[in-house]
Amino acid sequence: MENQQKGLYNPDHEHDACGIGFVASIKGRKSYQHISDALTILENLEHRGACGCEDNTGDGAGISFQVPHAFLVGECITVGIKLPEAGYYGVGMLFFPKGQEDDCKELFAAAAEQLNLEILGYRKVPVNRNGIGDTALSVEPEIEQVFIKRPEGITADLDFERRLFVLRNFASHTINNTIRKNETGFYVASLSSQTIIYKGQLTSNQVRRYFLDLQDKRMVSAYALVHSRFATNTFPSWALAQPFRYIAHNGEINTLQGNLNWLRTNEKNFASPFFTPEEINMLLPLVPGKQSDSASLDNMVEMLMLSGRSLPHVLMMLIPEAWDENEALDPIQKAFYEYHSCLMEPWDGPAAVCFSDGKMIGATLDRNGLRPIRYSITNDDRMILASETGVLGLHASQVVKKGRLRPGKMLVIDLEKGEIIFNDPLKKELCSQQPYGEWLDKYKITMGSLGEPRITFTPLAHPQVFKYQKAFGYTTEAIEDIIVPMALTGKEPVGSMGTDTPLAVLSKEPQHLTSYFKQLFAQVTNPPIDPIREKLVMSLASFAGTSGNILAEDPMAAHSIILRHPILDNYYLEKIRSIDTGTFQSKTIQGYFRADGSPDALKKALDRICRYAVDAVEDGYRMIIIQDRAIDSRHAPIPSLLTVAAVHHHLIRKGLRGEVGIIAEAGDVWEVHHAACLIAYGATAINPYMAFASIRDRQAEGLIDTNLPFEALRDNYISALNTGLLKVFSKMGISTFQSYQGAQIFEILGLSNDVVSQYFTGSTSNIEGLKLDDIAEEALIKHRFAFSNKQIPADRLPVGGELQWKRKGEFHLFNPQTIHLLQLSTRTNDYNLFKKYSKLVNEQGEKACTLRSLLEFNKQQKSISIDAVEPAENIYKRFNTGAMSFGSISWEAHTTLALAMNKLGARSNTGEGGEDEARYEPLSDGSSMRSSIKQVASGRFGVTSRYLTEADELQIKMAQGAKPGEGGQLPGEKVDEWIGRTRHATPGVGLISPPPHHDIYSIEDLAQLIFDLKNANRAARISVKLVSKAGVGTIASGVTKAKADVVLVSGFDGGTGASPLGSIKHAGLPWELGLAETHQTLIKNKLRPRVTVQADGQMKTGRDIAIAALLGAEEWGVATAALVVEGCVLMRKCHLNTCPVGVATQDKELRSRFTGEVDYVVNLFKFITEELREIMAELGFRTIDEMIGRSENLKQRDNIEYWKHSNIDLSRLLYKEPNPDNVSLFKTEEQDHGLDGILDWQLLEKAQPAFKNGENVSASFKIKNTDRATGTLLSNEISKAFKSDGLPEDTLNFQFYGAAGQSFGAFAAKGLTMRVEGDANDYFGKGLSGAKLIICPPPNAGFIPANNSVVGNVVLYGATSGEAYIYGRAGERFAVRNSGAKVVVEGIGDHGCEYMTGGRVVVLGKIGRNFGAGMSGGIAYVYDVYKDFADRCNPEMIDLDPCTEADRDELFGMIQKHFDYTGSATANFILKDFDNQLGSFVKVFPKDYKRALLKQEATKVSK
Amino acid sequence: MKQEKITGFKEYHRELPEVQPVAKRIKHYKEFTAAYPAEKLHQQSARCMDCGVPFCHSGCPLGNVIPEFNDAVFNEQWQEAYDILSSTNNFPEFTGRICPAPCESSCVLNINRPAVAIEAIEKHIIEIAFSKGLVKPFMPENRTGKTVAVIGSGPAGMAAAEQLNAAGHTVTIYEKDDAAGGLLRYGIPDFKLEKSVIDRRIALMEQSGIAFKYHAHVGVNVFLSDILHEFDAVVMSGGAMVPRDIQLSGREAKGIHYAMEFLKQQNNRVAGKDPLAFAETESNIIDVELNAKGKHVVIIGSGDTGSDCVGTSIRQGAKSVTQLALMHQPGTTRPLYTPWPQYPDIYRTSSSQEEGADRLFATVTKEFIADDKGNLAGLRVADLHWEFTPDGKRATSVENEGSERIIPCDLALIAIGFSQPEQLLIDRYELARDARGNILADEVTYKTSHPKIFACGDMRRGQSLVVWAISEGRECARNVDQFLCKEASVLENRDNSLETQAFGK
Repeated sequence: MENQQKGLYNPDHEHDACGIGFVASIKGRKSYQHISDALTILENLEHRGACGCEDNTGDGAGISFQVPHAFLVGECITVGIKLPEAGYYGVGMLFFPKGQEDDCKELFAAAAEQLNLEILGYRKVPVNRNGIGDTALSVEPEIEQVFIKRPEGITADLDFERRLFVLRNFASHTINNTIRKNETGFYVASLSSQTIIYKGQLTSNQVRRYFLDLQDKRMVSAYALVHSRFATNTFPSWALAQPFRYIAHNGEINTLQGNLNWLRTNEKNFASPFFTPEEINMLLPLVPGKQSDSASLDNMVEMLMLSGRSLPHVLMMLIPEAWDENEALDPIQKAFYEYHSCLMEPWDGPAAVCFSDGKMIGATLDRNGLRPIRYSITNDDRMILASETGVLGLHASQVVKKGRLRPGKMLVIDLEKGEIIFNDPLKKELCSQQPYGEWLDKYKITMGSLGEPRITFTPLAHPQVFKYQKAFGYTTEAIEDIIVPMALTGKEPVGSMGTDTPLAVLSKEPQHLTSYFKQLFAQVTNPPIDPIREKLVMSLASFAGTSGNILAEDPMAAHSIILRHPILDNYYLEKIRSIDTGTFQSKTIQGYFRADGSPDALKKALDRICRYAVDAVEDGYRMIIIQDRAIDSRHAPIPSLLTVAAVHHHLIRKGLRGEVGIIAEAGDVWEVHHAACLIAYGATAINPYMAFASIRDRQAEGLIDTNLPFEALRDNYISALNTGLLKVFSKMGISTFQSYQGAQIFEILGLSNDVVSQYFTGSTSNIEGLKLDDIAEEALIKHRFAFSNKQIPADRLPVGGELQWKRKGEFHLFNPQTIHLLQLSTRTNDYNLFKKYSKLVNEQGEKACTLRSLLEFNKQQKSISIDAVEPAENIYKRFNTGAMSFGSISWEAHTTLALAMNKLGARSNTGEGGEDEARYEPLSDGSSMRSSIKQVASGRFGVTSRYLTEADELQIKMAQGAKPGEGGQLPGEKVDEWIGRTRHATPGVGLISPPPHHDIYSIEDLAQLIFDLKNANRAARISVKLVSKAGVGTIASGVTKAKADVVLVSGFDGGTGASPLGSIKHAGLPWELGLAETHQTLIKNKLRPRVTVQADGQMKTGRDIAIAALLGAEEWGVATAALVVEGCVLMRKCHLNTCPVGVATQDKELRSRFTGEVDYVVNLFKFITEELREIMAELGFRTIDEMIGRSENLKQRDNIEYWKHSNIDLSRLLYKEPNPDNVSLFKTEEQDHGLDGILDWQLLEKAQPAFKNGENVSASFKIKNTDRATGTLLSNEISKAFKSDGLPEDTLNFQFYGAAGQSFGAFAAKGLTMRVEGDANDYFGKGLSGAKLIICPPPNAGFIPANNSVVGNVVLYGATSGEAYIYGRAGERFAVRNSGAKVVVEGIGDHGCEYMTGGRVVVLGKIGRNFGAGMSGGIAYVYDVYKDFADRCNPEMIDLDPCTEADRDELFGMIQKHFDYTGSATANFILKDFDNQLGSFVKVFPKDYKRALLKQEATKVSK
Repeated sequence: MKQEKITGFKEYHRELPEVQPVAKRIKHYKEFTAAYPAEKLHQQSARCMDCGVPFCHSGCPLGNVIPEFNDAVFNEQWQEAYDILSSTNNFPEFTGRICPAPCESSCVLNINRPAVAIEAIEKHIIEIAFSKGLVKPFMPENRTGKTVAVIGSGPAGMAAAEQLNAAGHTVTIYEKDDAAGGLLRYGIPDFKLEKSVIDRRIALMEQSGIAFKYHAHVGVNVFLSDILHEFDAVVMSGGAMVPRDIQLSGREAKGIHYAMEFLKQQNNRVAGKDPLAFAETESNIIDVELNAKGKHVVIIGSGDTGSDCVGTSIRQGAKSVTQLALMHQPGTTRPLYTPWPQYPDIYRTSSSQEEGADRLFATVTKEFIADDKGNLAGLRVADLHWEFTPDGKRATSVENEGSERIIPCDLALIAIGFSQPEQLLIDRYELARDARGNILADEVTYKTSHPKIFACGDMRRGQSLVVWAISEGRECARNVDQFLCKEASVLENRDNSLETQAFGK
């Protein structure tokens, strides 16, 4: 292992995701069949796992089950061990580093002896290495079983488990601290008297073959649990395979860093009657260094369980369902969750967890239900539960129940009692174990219950406000464009066109400390959340006070202050300051440092504050308020983020953090980002008193145009901060304040490692930067300004100029000079003028702006003549324009780009708004307006089979630079006739792009979408667009393994779309870092030859492109510069539709002002290429291919003198990853997309008569869950041949029998009818493009279809037209983003019809929560027999109306068809009694849609 | 932002304040531009788009923060508007009247629509501020004890003086004329800038502690050596007063004068002063009274000064007024060689030209023709044929054969600019000069070759706009302040925020 990180790859960023499942006998009957069946499940989940650079090295797979006593007894006899009776010995699966078995065993024995445990002996586990990949074998451990006797005197099984647990941890720590660490290490896969685990760095298919034991019929168990892993990296690790000892986890813990920090502080308080203090010491650290999030979760589960809670109880603590403000939840359960919230924070993130202790087995889902779990119960008392249905062939007649686990729910099989316990009874019992509600009533402190504060401050007078504003770094821009709009509207303001100002570390303006912190965001491995439409899972509630000992259930743990949200106004702050319950008091500490500029002044101050904080905790204070009000000419405020983080980490190190809450009474907090940083580094609550004072002051000065009283403005402002915080949490996929607090969901750009390791411990910081005294200097600049000893004649706040260019503000790369020169040079085709422009952009010299401005070329070989460099025409094809939708930019601007790029042989991008079909036909002069790249974004607007077919490249937008992790919104006013048509939407109806792709919650989901798209157009490259962040290289590797052909790494700074200002500035990294990391990591993984790497983000010149090539990108995107050439002058008003040059507007009059021309854009790319070729000649490269990834041709400039820049270190960026196997540094190999042998080839063959002669065709096929995206490739062929018209209805009539795999009928085209008898998995009918899908259980099914799940989650996502009839229930997120399909279904889960904009949905059964959130169009008819539908809706955008006469006919028609196609009993019943039943139907009519229809009606009438 | 402000640029057209009809205004020398009605002012301010890249900022030599003050006007926040405006511009009442407004040429709206009426809005802000009593003398709380002499009271010197006084230094202005203002006072006619506007400002400056010494022509009746002895620093801001001449046969004829000689007389008359007095200290005082009444006046030169001569001649009752320009007549649309956001070379009509001048373009003067008494009687002129570069720039010219002719002329006014500052003082103190004869001073530090002497305005950069003079005066003052205090100045900086500049490392 390398000790020092040289490049940008950091193993902390690894992610994994997976398929899980189990087979169990409900009655606890043991059988080999369970193990064998589980292995079959594993094999059928293979597509959810992944393999690395070799297809025979998996990411890991394994199985766990009950200790197979009979087998072990038999085997042990042959090696001379006599085992005691079952349960009286423990068996361990030990992974030894090869050749060090003896040393390890010696230490293991010593540890056992210390614990008075007798080792009975070891047995080598026989393995078959045939067919296992070299990479896996290179670190294969020696696997042996150890047998340990249960000591006399231990009577309870659990007590023995506890002893084994201590042994395992203690031995592991000792051995790993003693034995030389290599990549294998010593590892205990399991050590238990109840369960055993066989696992390794294997593919799903290899487990059965590799472990010979598993083929032995003496192996029996009442259950077997399997797990198949898909990791983003391929570095082999046998230990990271799952299942773990208690859980198998499919998911991702987003808040891991924070959870581990809290755990570290909690560990100091561990006390349990089940362990002696010595034993606890032997257990710690509970979570050893480098390991996966799932492994850490398992450690945590184990500790909490073995200290006295049941497994379900523990999982409810760690992964609570959404309870806060959930009125429907049973109060007893609510009290349980609330009490446990006082103890600890959730381990937040998407999760499907199967858990077992050998006596019971169960499963649970996270509050969002972001991972699927389907189950079947058979008539012989088995439960088969897995990520997918159909993983084990079952006869329909055997099945008595088919179901799925719902978000936040749990089920358990008690193997001893022989029963299934479903969620409600299970939780009811658990929650009644203690009188949690009474404890809360007695001890919890609410704001309302607090007395009046002892004192309150008088508002500051104007001169003081002004002085403080200066001292804390306020600018007029911050006040006018951020604070005041927040106070007026209650929302965070929006901006456009990305950012082109210097990185904080490069800026000459004194920065806010938070500007060095970049928000992390979810992409690929977990989804962001929509905090508006899916508010029900979000919570801002926080619990401040002491958390105490989490191993015990102490009523006093409830003695905390409960805050509904973390922003305190002055009144509430004073209440808390005055609090005195006898045991709960607050202490205020001053956050200032001496302003004399002496070295270490800041360090001394922080040391003082940390000391005081410890004193306060030791003196019994429960709340620390860090205040920065007491500043004067001698004392400057410490940035509140630094004080809070310093105290937070100091207390963690002292083990005291859990004892106390930290409130920041901070003058320097006014933006959402500021507050988010403070919370992520430990603040419990924030009082942004200067922001309040600024609002009050502006109002008093008559500078806010409003009649609202100050209090209303303040509350608006608080609400804007809170909404913004939810957005920041949710972009990382975090739902609750509690999980976010201390989770450090940031990476740092430009602080030195000394500062980071001391105060922001555990955060990533890759380029070094400011030392503590430099941070002090930035604070002092502001302080000197505020407390100037001279009178300042024109005494005003600095202007800022971050958001807009201002002469006296922050530097911008696009400024009047560069914009003018770029426009003029391309318009007049004047290369010399362009060189003037590029010189201004490239030679940032003193005004450094980008990381690349700190680089210079470092020639490694002789220069060559420019004539020897490959011609420009060869290079053009490597250029792309950015993804800008028609809708965000005008028709003129969009088509000009397309024409220009097509003229050059380069590629333009549709953006996410679909494409007008008129553009598919060439123009009369042979030119073409068709965009080569078709984007597939979360909104799926206009994503039809035809659209996908008309692409040379399909780009999956995982994130966009301007607002990674967020969705978007096109307001109804912008959706005119034309845009509506292109996007398959109703004019006048607003359109929402969800933050996540609802079919990508994980890496295996992405692999599925790539597979779907490849089926939809196998001639097109599939590209995945990522945004640069630390760890993006790891994600890119995963994406490559998911078979993407292209990975695009976007810089944070690009982007033309409208975004919240905070997101534009503060989320994501420059592309230089992301690109370098991607290239380095792909080489490390030997994956580089399999994928094309693209980069974009504010690329403006040939030099930018050359640097991108040298850092590893063989293709590049230029967007903003191209828009500027078209006339854009960076108005940054795109979101207002008022672009005065006709670029980013749909306003007819303004569009007429557009003056861009194709040739201008062509000139731009010619010039950039020319400049690039000049650089190539200088560096001696004949071709682009030669220069990809040749980072040795770059070096950091050595003439950097500015004080702030001097500590920056770009060596990790320029690090050249060793490439011992000499893999190609650019794409040379095609991905194997696995299209050979798919079912569609058979379909296509059968369909030939229809293609050739238009004949109707019928055929039937068997189908299983590994048959995925059925009908998609066929539909691609239909679209090629028949374009958008498709075939006449029912031309192709295909029957399927069995369980259909994921994405059945994805993008299925018109004329295709597909009927499944059986069931189907997730994404059924995704992107449906005109086809008809029917699904029903077989006639002999042993269950009632209407009450059972027949299809999975995210059915009909993004469907644009067609029909679907589903006899049975569907999962969560049914018909999300449907824009035209007509569907009948018999019941659905949560979030039904979310963001729907068109089509018809009829639901004949039960409905989950949050129906119709963000639904702006289409109509749903819901059969509301129980009259509880209204409570299950999200009423924000929809009306619930009775059905009209016109509706009656439509409804009847659809139900009739449903009956005809499926024979549904429900449909039959309703049809027979239709007039009576009609009254039970509710019509869900979106308000927007209603308005648009009325308007259309009115225009028709007036015509 | 309010909707009206978001879409104002689409809804409202550019309108300038009303002016008196020609027939009425040529009867007097007073200003003739009215104020906007409140609603108009509001609408005009709503046209400002608050651009992401406000090119107007960079177009203005002062770095006026234009969108901000437009917004304050839109919201009728007069104190705020005045604070913003006065933070970068000492004398908006001057620039609001006579600036050619490069900011408007670079206004983003001007890409395809008439620019925002920035200059008119600027004038309204300052006039409203005066009327509301918001304009007060700036009294520094502490005096540094340092003294500065400013030589020349034109806009550069006035700006330098105000700034230095604000920084706490004690400032004395030396002016060779009998009143302050330089060309503002004696070059520009009252109908463009009434002298009460200058007096109002001078009074404020006096109240704030600035001393004025009049009829103090340094180098003539005051010695620079004394000043250097007495003061800690000296700012030279004497302008570039040496006029360009036109050396042709007949130049000695009576009735050929420099524009300044003509204009100064009229300005003196309007002020009720003797136009021939103080020849020994003042400049541009000649020994005969000039009057255009009943004369054929020809003005050679088509610039602003030429226009001033046109307006003045018309008011004096000239029989005819002809203005000659060497250049061809420009078109009405922006030519390629001055693309947006540059100052466009287009056909413009000044208010004076509107009052009735014959404008002859591409016309070269060949000879002054005198009658037998030696009085000017006519000019021999010829037409030029211009060649242009492809982007429309003038390249070369040749005389059109046979186009020579004589036009009648009793009074010829030469208004073809100034060549350099008066050299007397520069010579005497051996200050370094640039090639054009201006004082050589660094354009960042404004330091001359003499360690205590700084220079700014036309005297340093050569003849230019008032707005440049003010800008130079301000920037120079900041450097003088730094020189005197030996630390970063807290005076406003044109290009950087005070925070980084004055308080940064």
